This record gives sequence, C-alpha cells and structure tokens, in this order.
Amino acid sequence: MAQLSVRHLLGIKNLTENDIQTILDTATQFKEVINRPIKKVPSLRDITIANVFFENSTRTRLSFELAEKRLSADVINFSASGSSVKKGETLLDTVNNILAMKVDMIVMRHSSPGAPHYLSSRIPANVVNAGDGTHEHPTQALLDAFSMREKLGNLAGKKIAIIGDILHSRVALSNIFCLQKLGAEVMVCGPTTLIPKYIGELGVKIGHNVREALQWCDVANVLRIQLERQQIKYFPSLREYSLYFGITKQMLDEVNKEIVLMHPGPINRGVELSSDAADSQHSIILNQVENGVAVRMAVLYLLAQQ
Amino acid sequence: MKVLLRSVRIIDKASPLHGQVKDLLLENGILTQIGDGLAADGAEVREGNGLCVSAGWIDMRVASRDPGYEHKESIESVQEAAARGGFTEIVLLPNSRPVVDSKDTLNYVRKGSNGGPVVLHAAAAVTKGTDGVDFTDMIDLHTSGAVAFTDGEHPIQNADILLKALLYLSPLNALLMNRAEDKQLTLFGQMHEGVSSTLLGLKGMPALAEEMMLSRDLKLLEYALEKSTTPDTGLPLLHVSLVSTARAVELIREAKAKGLPVSCDMAAHQLAFEDKDLMDFDTNLKVNPPFRSEADAQAVRQALADGTIDAVVSDHSPHDEESKNLEFDHADFGITGLETAFALTQMHSGLGLEALIEKLTSRPRQILRLPQVTLEEGKPANLTFFRPDAEWTFVRTYSKSKNTPFLGKVLRGRVCGVVNQGGFRWFE
Repeated sequence: MAQLSVRHLLGIKNLTENDIQTILDTATQFKEVINRPIKKVPSLRDITIANVFFENSTRTRLSFELAEKRLSADVINFSASGSSVKKGETLLDTVNNILAMKVDMIVMRHSSPGAPHYLSSRIPANVVNAGDGTHEHPTQALLDAFSMREKLGNLAGKKIAIIGDILHSRVALSNIFCLQKLGAEVMVCGPTTLIPKYIGELGVKIGHNVREALQWCDVANVLRIQLERQQIKYFPSLREYSLYFGITKQMLDEVNKEIVLMHPGPINRGVELSSDAADSQHSIILNQVENGVAVRMAVLYLLAQQ
Repeated sequence: MKVLLRSVRIIDKASPLHGQVKDLLLENGILTQIGDGLAADGAEVREGNGLCVSAGWIDMRVASRDPGYEHKESIESVQEAAARGGFTEIVLLPNSRPVVDSKDTLNYVRKGSNGGPVVLHAAAAVTKGTDGVDFTDMIDLHTSGAVAFTDGEHPIQNADILLKALLYLSPLNALLMNRAEDKQLTLFGQMHEGVSSTLLGLKGMPALAEEMMLSRDLKLLEYALEKSTTPDTGLPLLHVSLVSTARAVELIREAKAKGLPVSCDMAAHQLAFEDKDLMDFDTNLKVNPPFRSEADAQAVRQALADGTIDAVVSDHSPHDEESKNLEFDHADFGITGLETAFALTQMHSGLGLEALIEKLTSRPRQILRLPQVTLEEGKPANLTFFRPDAEWTFVRTYSKSKNTPFLGKVLRGRVCGVVNQGGFRWFE
C-alpha cells in the first residue's frame, strides 16, 4: 500500500514528489466515494481527530470536518480567537489537554508560522497543518494541484500564475512548492509591495502586470486581498487595487485561449475578482471546494496509516 | 587562601612575560610571585597542561534582569554565569524594571558585586525609562559611576535625541553605546530577511534596517563633533553595539578611516549561526540582530581580524522558558551567552588567541575608559585562567535561564578559573 514519507503534514516543503502523487491518487478514489449515494467509508472508525483553530476559518474547518466524518472518524472542534494563546494558556498546554482526552490527530490552524512544526516535535499525535500564518497551507496547495490536474492532466510544463498578495500568503508559498515539485512553471504577480524581495530565488517568475500574467499562464490562481496587515499598509486603496490588479471576465475572454481561474476563497467580489469573472466558465472555484474534501480525506487517511 | 598555578602560559601583550610559561603564586587575591619552579609551601596547587592566563575578561553587553525580572536572572546568578564564562567584569544594560535611569538603580546594580570575583559596571539609560523621549540626568549619572550611556535593548530611533546625547556627553569624555536598528523597517520582524525568511513565511528584518540607522548614527556623530571645542581624547564617543552585516562593518571601517571617534562590538553567537540555520523554527536561535547571511558572516569575521570590530561581547539575554518555549513569533529575542562567548569566539572567529584576548580585555577596557589590567607581581590579581584547546560539553548552565542553543553541545575553549577583588574561583 502506498505510504507517505512523513508522519505529519506540516508543509509541502517537507513532502517528496512521490508523496504528493500518492495523496492526489488517493484523493481521486475518495472523490469517487463522496459522489456515491452513501458518501461514507469506515476507514478511520477508531480514530479521533481534533480540529484546533486559533484563527477564523469557515471553509477549511468545514472541509476538514466533513472529510473526517466521511472517513467515520470521531471529531471534536476547538476554536479560539487570534491571540488568546499569548495571553492565557500556552499552545502546548491547550493541545496537551485535548490529547489527554485520547485524541489521535490534530488538525491545526494558527497565526504563527511554524506553530505546527513546534507542536509536532512535542506531542505524540499526528499533526496536520491547516494553515500557519504566512508560511504554508499544504492541503490548499494539494487541492489546488488536484483541481488543476483534473482539468489539465499532468502538470509538468504547465504555467501557473499566482496573482495577488504573495507576501502574506501561505497559499502562495505552498502552491509554489507543490507546483514546482510537480514540474509546473510558476509566476507570481502583484504590486511590488506584496511580492517578497527574495521570492525569485525560489525559481519563480515575477510579474507586476496582470494582463501579461494572464496571457502567459494556463491557470490563474488569484489570492484574497486585504488592505492592511498588522496596521501596515502595502498599497493605497482597494479601489486602486481592483482597477489595476483586479481580474474581470473581459480580461479572461481577451486572452484568446483556454484559461482556468482559481481562488482559494473567500473571494472579495469586486476587488481581486469581478463577479462575472468568478462566475464565468473559466472558473473552477467551486470544484476546488469539492475537491478539498477528497484531498483532506486522502491526507487524513494516509497519515492515519503511519 | 594561597594557590600555586604551575606552568601557565601568559597571554598579556602589556607584560614583558607575554608568551612565557611561568608559575604563579596567588595569596589572598594578590599575585605575589611569578617565577619558575616555585615551591608549593602549603599552597593549593593547580597544574598547567595547556593552562593559559590573561587579564580578567570584560563583557561590554549583558542584559540586566535585576531588579524587576529576577526570575530570568538575578544579580547573584549573573555573576556566577559570568565567572563561569571567564568574565571578571561585566557591563549591565539599563533595561531592568525600573530602568537604570537614576542614582538609586545605578547604585543598586553597582553595589551588587559584593566583593566577589565579578565586578558589575552599570550602563545608564540615555532616556528615562529607555522610552526615547526625555533625557536622564546624564552628568549626575556619569559622576555617580555610570560606565557608559545606552538605551540598551531599545535602539535610539529619534535622530535629535541621539545628536543631543552625543553633544551633551562629549565634554564629559563619556561613552554612548547604541545598537543600530530602524524599528520601522523591522516592525514585526522575526529573522534576517532573505531566502530563508521567505521559505519560512517569517517577516524579515532587512540588513538595510541596521545599515541605514548606522549611517545615520555616524553622520550624527560627525555633525556633533564639527566645530567641537572639546579636546580629542582619542577615545570613541559612539560605540556601536552588535554589528552584524557586511555593509555595517564597511561603514564602521570607513568612519574609522576618516578619524571619527567610533568603536564597535559583535556578539560571539553571531559567529556560530547563519539565517539558514533557522529552518526548524528553533526559538533559541531567535536573536536581534538576527543571524545574517553567509556573506555577512564572512565580512564580520574579516572585520574582527582587521580590527574594525574592537570587542566581542556575550550579549547575554536571559529569558525564562515561558518566553521562549512558544510559537516562533511569540518568543522573545535573545540567547544567554556569558558561559559560551569565549568558546564560540575561539571556535568560529578564526582569530589567533592573542588577538581574541585583546577583544575581551584591553580593547573594551580602553573603550570604556576603565583602568587596564596586567599581570604584575605584588598587585591585586584580576585574571582569567583558561584552556584554549580543551573540549568540554556544556551540560549545565549557571544562569537562571536556559535559552541557549549550545546546551549539550561540545565546545572548544574552556574557562578554568577567575580571580578578582580577592575572590578566587576554580571550576575544574
């Protein structure tokens, strides 16, 4: 049976290409399962999973929870607001309390880069990173790759543009690692203030013109934009952003070729994507959401075998 | 107390016995005899076997936690850690609670050494509470024995404050120490900005933040001294703490060549790591200035060798487990360094022993306007004994805090003992 080289899913950086292919292939099988009339399999019947979310999340948490339930795992949910950990109980204490109730796996979202890495070296349970600050969001990258592969076949040689706030995006970093491991070419595109200074050394192309990026790519993966991060401003206004970096259906139609539009959600309609673009035939945004459940089932299933 | 130390190599450029192997007799803290084949005559005997002696070492930068944060480090524990690290004199930063910005706190710190082998020097704050707004009574603090002025862990951001402080201090022949960091460019920063910070998703602290502030500080120094009527003592007025980048050492080199009265130091641990070593999010490697790039590390080593960097400091920054055993961006900056500074410099600097000892003894004493220490018969001894090539495992720290990446590691260069102010300690 196919196995992963890791005990935890901390980031795509730690995965081999083989791991990624294994997860995607397993997800294909689970996607078939969740489209059956009886969507549930007994694979994780003896496993208890805690979804520990220290940051707001709707779709990722629901997607994980559904994946866990489809696999027949027992599920508990814990949510705490952003910085309560700093003020009160430590992360390690919180998680150890949960583990004391005989929990086997931790799915964690946290605002601190490296928080799941910190945890994984200190607890016996498997850890799945559901997003750690501005670092990685591995299951998002895997479901993105799965959705691209479903649409375009083998990703080797395919061109993917990641457009928006690259500087603060865990999705961008995980996507870059994942797509490069699968042989795709990656471009990052956005205002210069939102592109990390050293990102070029990761082997990606850098662009600042959205029309050119769309012309170049097979897939445009558009990221959510926020005006402010920790009280630091990175661009003048959302109005200006949408005028010069936002994507409309007209722009997608004008490239005169097949182009796939993706977005990890939640979309700011009218900012990074116009409504007509988000709802156009180019968009596979809702397929991404569906595939998210299958991919997360694959990850949980494979880690539970370790 | 009478101790005979047999076959000890003397590392003391100021002494005619420099480089020679001699027997040393210590009686009640006085170096009574230096000679060959001295008789034990009732003295405790310590055998040489590669043992070296130099003037007692001085550390220009130790974070003070007492008063206010005694659970991290107390006046007593910092002295023990210092002695174990070979330091007979340490300069404490003013960042205690309350801050050393009045005679009260200054005296509390200075009197803490209590006759032990470690002398505590207090650096007083430039601004009240190290808030960077209102000046402390600097003449009064200087007269009361402040060894230097600095806001310590809070680099001075306001150019006018730094300029006025330099102007005010220059006729006193007092020293201002400042670390160069533009806090706006490093806001929320966690590590050196580079490929590694990009890969880790951690907000970077660009080398530029240090270099830009350093150029500003040097320009202010130059401006403060234009038309100055204060006689040139040949001593630095501005001491730059913890330089860490290639361009920063280049700026200091240029300033010194221009004749500006500036000196600088670096942290010993800066020699041991680079930014790429942070890949596991180990909070014990979270320091400020952060571990820089390979090119920076090379330039810093070169600057140590050519004398651009005057002194090596421990930058001892103790933190309790609650401040360090955390997510990376919640953890505090700093490493406890007193006990490992010598070994790290010995292992990673590439400096010869003689040059290394200068950076721990005569050069920092000169910068701080403290009396030079030398080995002389009949004089009170202020000495450090060490084995430069001895390997040892750092299994126990005497600091109250354990935030060091070196615990459990094998290090080269071992401190054997210290003697100062009549107090003799031996650690073997």
